[in-house]
Amino acid sequence: MNSEVSGPVRVKSIAVPPIRRLREIRSPAWTLLYIILFLVIVIQSGVVVEARPQDLLTGASGMADILARSFPPDFSQFWPQLWPAFETVDIAIFGTVVGVIIAFPLAVLAARNTTPARLLYHGARALIAVCRSVPDLVWALLFVTAVGLGPFPGALAISVHSVGMLGRLLAEVIEDMDMGPIEALGTTGARRMQIFSHAVVPTVLPSLLGIALYRLDENIRSSLILGFVGAGGIGFQLLSAMNLFQYRTVSLLLIMMFVLVIGAERLSAALRKRIA
Amino acid sequence: MSDALIEAHGLFMRYPTGWLALEGASLAVRPGEFAVVLGANGSGKSTLLRIVAGIIKPTEGTARIAGQEITRLTGRALADARMAVGMVFQHANLVKRRSVLANVLCGTLGRHRNLATALGMLPKQEIPHGMHCLANVGLQEFAAQRAGTLSGGQAQRAAIARALAQRPRALLADEPVASLDPEATNQVMRLLRHVAANEGMAVLCVLHQPDLARRYADRIIGLRRGVVRFAAPPGEVTDPEIEALYEGTAR
Repeated sequence: MNSEVSGPVRVKSIAVPPIRRLREIRSPAWTLLYIILFLVIVIQSGVVVEARPQDLLTGASGMADILARSFPPDFSQFWPQLWPAFETVDIAIFGTVVGVIIAFPLAVLAARNTTPARLLYHGARALIAVCRSVPDLVWALLFVTAVGLGPFPGALAISVHSVGMLGRLLAEVIEDMDMGPIEALGTTGARRMQIFSHAVVPTVLPSLLGIALYRLDENIRSSLILGFVGAGGIGFQLLSAMNLFQYRTVSLLLIMMFVLVIGAERLSAALRKRIA
Repeated sequence: MSDALIEAHGLFMRYPTGWLALEGASLAVRPGEFAVVLGANGSGKSTLLRIVAGIIKPTEGTARIAGQEITRLTGRALADARMAVGMVFQHANLVKRRSVLANVLCGTLGRHRNLATALGMLPKQEIPHGMHCLANVGLQEFAAQRAGTLSGGQAQRAAIARALAQRPRALLADEPVASLDPEATNQVMRLLRHVAANEGMAVLCVLHQPDLARRYADRIIGLRRGVVRFAAPPGEVTDPEIEALYEGTAR
C-alpha cells in the first residue's frame, strides 16, 4: 500500500487465482438466480403470514385511538405496580441462582474432560438438552398447571430453562479449560474432590460468573413475558390492564419494563466488565 | 538396587495404536542423585516417566517409588503412593488466578484430606512450610501475587516449589525447560540439581538437550527406541554415544 516502486516496473508472473472462484467475475446468470431465489423466499413468507398492508392503513385510526387513550401514562399506578415489578426481578434472580446451582454440577458431568463416567455424560447432556429445547414460556405453562398461578411457577420455569442454557455454556467452558493444573494436582496425591475444588473451580469461576450475569439479564426479559401465562410479575399486570382496556396503565407498565430491561442490561454488562 | 528411590524393571509399553514405546527399559536412581534421561522424539522417554509417576500402566514390567510398586496400585492406594513422588511438567501448570502461595500449598493436599480442603480451603498450618519451599526456589517475595503474573521461568520454579511442598522422596521432571529461555533454563536446572544434592531426593529428569545433561546431571541415561543404551556419569559418556541416540530418527 505504502510501498512505492522506483525505476522501471518489473512485471513478474503472478499466480492467478482460478477465475471461477472470484465472486466479482461470476456469471450474471448466477447472480440473477440468487436474486430470484431470495425474492421467492420473501414472497412466500408474505403469503404464508397473510400480510395485508391495506389493513395496516385502515387500522391506523384504531392505533391512533389506542395511543391517544394510553396518554398520559397513569403515574398514580406507579406505587401499586412497583410490587409486581419487584416480583419480576426476583423471579429472574431466583431462577438464575437456582439455575447456576443445578447447572454447574450438571456441566461437570456433561464435560468430556471432567465426567466420571460415559453414562453420566450422556445423561447430563440429555437433561441439559431437554431443559434448553423447551421454551421457558412452555415450562411456565406446565408449572402453572402443576403449582397454580403466581410468581413461583414463573421462577421454576426460569430455573429449569436456565439449567439448560447455562449447562451447555458451562460444559463448553470446562471442556476448553487448561488441563495442566488438573494433571499436576493429580500427581500430588490429591483426591478427586480436592482437584475439582482447587483446580477446576478457580479456573472456570470468572467465566461462570460472567455467564450467570448474562443469564440474569436474559432472565429478567423472560420473566416480563411469563406473567402472560399467569406466572406473576409485571407481565400479569400488563395482561390484566390490556383486558380491562386500561391503556394508561399499560403505557406506564411499558415504561417500567423499558427501565427494567435497560437497567438490567447495563448492570449486567458493567459487572461482567469488572470480572474480566 | 535396594537403596534406590526410583526403580524400573523391564518396562514394555505398547499403546493401543500398536506403537511399541518401551522395549524392556530398566533404571534406578539413588537418593541425592540427579539423573537425566536423553533421547530423540519417540524414544519413549516421556512414556517412561509417566509410568514411573503412575499416570499410565506399562504393558509389562514394574516401577517402584521408595519401595512401593506404583505400577500395580490403583485408586486410593495409588494416590497415596504418588505422594512420595513430585512431578514437574514442561508447562508450569499453575492455577493462574490463584496466588503463588496457594498454588504451592496445593502440593500439600494429599496430606490433608478433609472436608475443608475438599471444599477448596487450603491447609493453613502448611503456610510456613509453603513459604519455606518458595524461599528454596527464590520466590518468597512473590507469594501473594497471582500465579498468572509470573514469567515462564518463575512459574516453573513455583511449580517446583509446589512439588517440594508435597515433601516427596523423588522428583520427576518431564522436559521442564523446553519452553524457557537460556537464563531461566539454567536457573531451573541448577535448582533441580540443588534439590537432589541438598534434600537427598532422587531426581529423574527427561531432557532434549545433551549439553544441559552434560553440564548438570550426575548420571545420563541414554534411551533409544525404547531401550536404555547407556547409563553413566557425564564424564564417561562420549559424544558419539550421545549422537547415536539421535541417529536415523526423524526429528
